[in-house]
Amino acid sequence: MICAEELVGEEWAEWYSMTPMERWSESAKLWEVYLAMGGSLDPEPDTQSPFFDPEERSSRPVDGRPGLRVIRRGRIQP
Amino acid sequence: MGGQACVLYGAAEFSRDVDLAIIASPANLSRLRNALAELKAEVIAVPPFEAKYLRKGHAVHFRCFASGGRGVRVDVMTKMRGVDSFPELWRRRVTLEAEDSTLYQLMSLPDLVKAKKTQRDKDWPMIRRLVEGNFFEHREKPTRQQLEFWFLELRTVELLIDLAAKHPSLCNRLAKRRELLAYAVSRDRSELTRGLSGEEDAEREADRRYWKPLMAELEKMRHARLRR
Repeated sequence: MICAEELVGEEWAEWYSMTPMERWSESAKLWEVYLAMGGSLDPEPDTQSPFFDPEERSSRPVDGRPGLRVIRRGRIQP
Repeated sequence: MGGQACVLYGAAEFSRDVDLAIIASPANLSRLRNALAELKAEVIAVPPFEAKYLRKGHAVHFRCFASGGRGVRVDVMTKMRGVDSFPELWRRRVTLEAEDSTLYQLMSLPDLVKAKKTQRDKDWPMIRRLVEGNFFEHREKPTRQQLEFWFLELRTVELLIDLAAKHPSLCNRLAKRRELLAYAVSRDRSELTRGLSGEEDAEREADRRYWKPLMAELEKMRHARLRR
């Protein structure tokens, strides 16, 4: 019998094994961390979405959060 | 529906926005307007919040400005490609109750899987996880309905093969509805993978065709808005 851990890895197998409300509760914790880190509520641009409007995207997230910013950018080695 | 439903069903860990399927009756839209007013929600982008656009298949997009929900996006739709009408979706809905007695009315899993068959890359791993999660949850004692659902919607090669080995007669019967199931019986991983890819390509193309006239309409509305 195929084991969930072997197929999808431990993390996803654990997620699958939770009840919906347990997942909801865990997701809410992720949400708090995300917001505390300055995560933006702007959706990521999805050029494949039929709703994508390149004009709509603003330079500043509407919730006033600065969004995550790059602190260090690795150099591409030749 | 959407990302929040995927969290509850186990296919996602996090979603930034809220997607709602609604019935576009005057009374219901009036109730929704009142609810959105409490959230200080404003329409963003096009189309405007009118029944005629919802009934055509457009999504209406809102951003909330009330404290506690500031910045949250809410998208509403009435009609989705390949998905039954709202009364049927409502009849088949799943209701979850949280500890604080809040009720969450979810699109049923089979309906959500259908709604997710879009042209977007991000939806297809989600579909796979939606069905996988359901499989692992109920595999010990599946109902006939669950077995059929898995045979018709699983996108994981190993699980299709495993299921076909346990239920070969049912698999052969359902192969009339889903051709690639024949390869699950013969354990042909390569053909199964090809079949799954073919299914995905066909759905993506169908979704692009469906959205073409709607996107043309959205473009006209955007240009009209810019001219104003």
